[in-house]
Amino acid sequence: MIPTLTDLLVASVALAVPVLVAASGELVGERAGVLTMSVEGMMLTGAFASVVGATASGSAFYGVLCGAVAGLLVGVLQAVLSVLLRADQIVTGLAANALALAGTTFGARLLLDRGTTVPGFARIEIPLLADIPVLGPALFRQTGLAYALVAAVVLLAIVTSRRTGWGIAVDAVGQDAASADRSGVPVLRVRFTAVLVVGLLSGLAGTQLALSEVHTFTDNMTAGTGYLAVVAVIAGSWRPVGVAVAAVVFGLAQALQFTLPALGVDVPFALLVMLPYVLALLAVAGFVSHSRPPAGLNTAFVRQGRLA
Amino acid sequence: MTAPTSAPGAAADVVAGSPGRDAPADTGRPPGAQRSGAPTTAWRDRLLDARPVLVPVAAVLGALGVSTGLAALAGATPVEAATALWEGMVGTPYAIGSSLNVAAVLLLVATGFLVAHRAGLVNVGGEGQIAVGAVAATAVGTTLPPAVPAAVALPLLLLAAAFGGAAWASIAAWLAVRRGVSEVITTLLLNFVGVAVLVLSIHEEALLRQPVTSSETLPQSSPLVDSAHLPLLGLPDSPATTAVVLALAGAVAGSLVLRRTATGVRLAAVGMSRPAALRLGLPVDRLRFSALTTAGAASGVAGGVLVASVPYVLDEGLASGYGFSGLVVGLLARGSFTAAVGIATALGFLVSGGINLQLAAGVPASITQIAESLIILGVAGTAIWTVRRTARPTRTRPWRPWRRPATPDRTGTEATS
Repeated sequence: MIPTLTDLLVASVALAVPVLVAASGELVGERAGVLTMSVEGMMLTGAFASVVGATASGSAFYGVLCGAVAGLLVGVLQAVLSVLLRADQIVTGLAANALALAGTTFGARLLLDRGTTVPGFARIEIPLLADIPVLGPALFRQTGLAYALVAAVVLLAIVTSRRTGWGIAVDAVGQDAASADRSGVPVLRVRFTAVLVVGLLSGLAGTQLALSEVHTFTDNMTAGTGYLAVVAVIAGSWRPVGVAVAAVVFGLAQALQFTLPALGVDVPFALLVMLPYVLALLAVAGFVSHSRPPAGLNTAFVRQGRLA
Repeated sequence: MTAPTSAPGAAADVVAGSPGRDAPADTGRPPGAQRSGAPTTAWRDRLLDARPVLVPVAAVLGALGVSTGLAALAGATPVEAATALWEGMVGTPYAIGSSLNVAAVLLLVATGFLVAHRAGLVNVGGEGQIAVGAVAATAVGTTLPPAVPAAVALPLLLLAAAFGGAAWASIAAWLAVRRGVSEVITTLLLNFVGVAVLVLSIHEEALLRQPVTSSETLPQSSPLVDSAHLPLLGLPDSPATTAVVLALAGAVAGSLVLRRTATGVRLAAVGMSRPAALRLGLPVDRLRFSALTTAGAASGVAGGVLVASVPYVLDEGLASGYGFSGLVVGLLARGSFTAAVGIATALGFLVSGGINLQLAAGVPASITQIAESLIILGVAGTAIWTVRRTARPTRTRPWRPWRRPATPDRTGTEATS
């Protein structure tokens, strides 16, 4: 029993880290009032660019750089559309995802050869801690990138907590953009930056998936993980700890599809594939009614009098 | 309160374009649709009215330019690519026929989208609804005794498909109405579940999988009985099926209901302002529920049509892409069914052309999806120049501080801002 539980946890953490990283970026974006549906596309683009970069340069570090830049570029696109052009955030987000899916599929035909080895990250065992039964292998036998990303997530949560100026600015802009504007907070700049943060972290989440776990790029390899990240923010009631818990639950739900068949449990594969999304639906349906989203979520800001 | 939600007007209208003169089909909209923030001169008016047409055209041209560039990157000269695309679109009667079949499916999805959109709901769930509709249709089409005549079998199959799609959409509709959850999020998530339902049903022999005789048996359903096959239109050398007629009939029906009936006006009222519709005494919840469910039914029929066409089996990739493309058609049509017919046809030809682009010129077929998404980004991104809006949403809830509103407005922006 212990080894199988360990396997399940290892797989859960492996799948939860990308969701966690992307969701904590999305959390900042949503708190600032921008609903970024293109997390999926940012992750996919990040994964694709990191594999292309790592293969071309032969170094996983350049891969990470490429993944981050690619995520940022999609972030710039989304920020221009959502913040500056005040376009419909959901529609443009979905279109950006479609563009990322088609673009990476197209690019993979041109740029990637099947069968070439992609330089990735090796797992680093933390001495002693990795020997803890059950939890040790899952938590303390990760790649350097994974440790760095989790550290970045914690750092981001601290920097944007409600005790810092930045965190207050983010919340102010998301709750009541007009008042924030009147008090001198640069609304558009804060929102634009927040979407860039979403892009950066989502790109890195895709990189983690590609270079630490899968070690290659396959068409549509994120397969909806980005949407789970968006839902994790809702399910986590726009609080960092809640979002982290939701991300872990989604990771666990995704992990079951790999672990249960290995255990010989006879559950149809498709049922396991749909499990995370059913959970996500339940989460959205159950949690939404007693948690409050940022009041200005999905509403573009324009200074009074300019539009008329 | 709800999660990320599109306030009925906001999300809808940003892409729906300015109601009014640009879309002739829109004349059924009640007055008040043409609110304008500031007094404008006649010519500015005319220019603004032209923009909703000019911008999509510019977006299409831009997308075509990018696609040509990408095709060149993939090693095809523009002439080669254009020839392959043209051949795949209209080169042979066969190509024309299959393009029309794709267009029919897109038009069905788009018709449903437009109905829900009129009530302020954005149905992103086409793919899942197609999948579940196809599963329902397959269940009927493979179990009917072969003796049943086509006049009975086909309507039964399409009815089952409509019912499947409607049932699938009703989950999202119920959540939107009762729990105030954004239908965008729920229909999106239901896509993944719906496709998984399809995959499940063709992997399990107890469900719809064809009898497994060897390890070579593909995970797909048994072929439908002959009487459940959609008849061809009978054009020479053309695979075009009666789905084309069905889709056109659906679009005409949708257009008539929205433009010429009281239901259409009610749906529009709900879509423009839910609080105002409530004050008028309209059954807002029921209207929204039925609108989204109808959209699901239309997508479900699209799934049924797909199953009842060559090769008459349910397989894993059946729904892929149609949901999003149908959404694209619905968004670009800006509420007009006439436009939807035209755009669905154009996109249908583009999709078939894209497949030939891959076969003949070696350009990955995903180039057509790139073009589609660029068009949407272009149109949605330029909405601030094409859509006239009042400066701020106004408070429209009746002022009765002593009483809680009958139906709390959960979507936020318009009631709370």
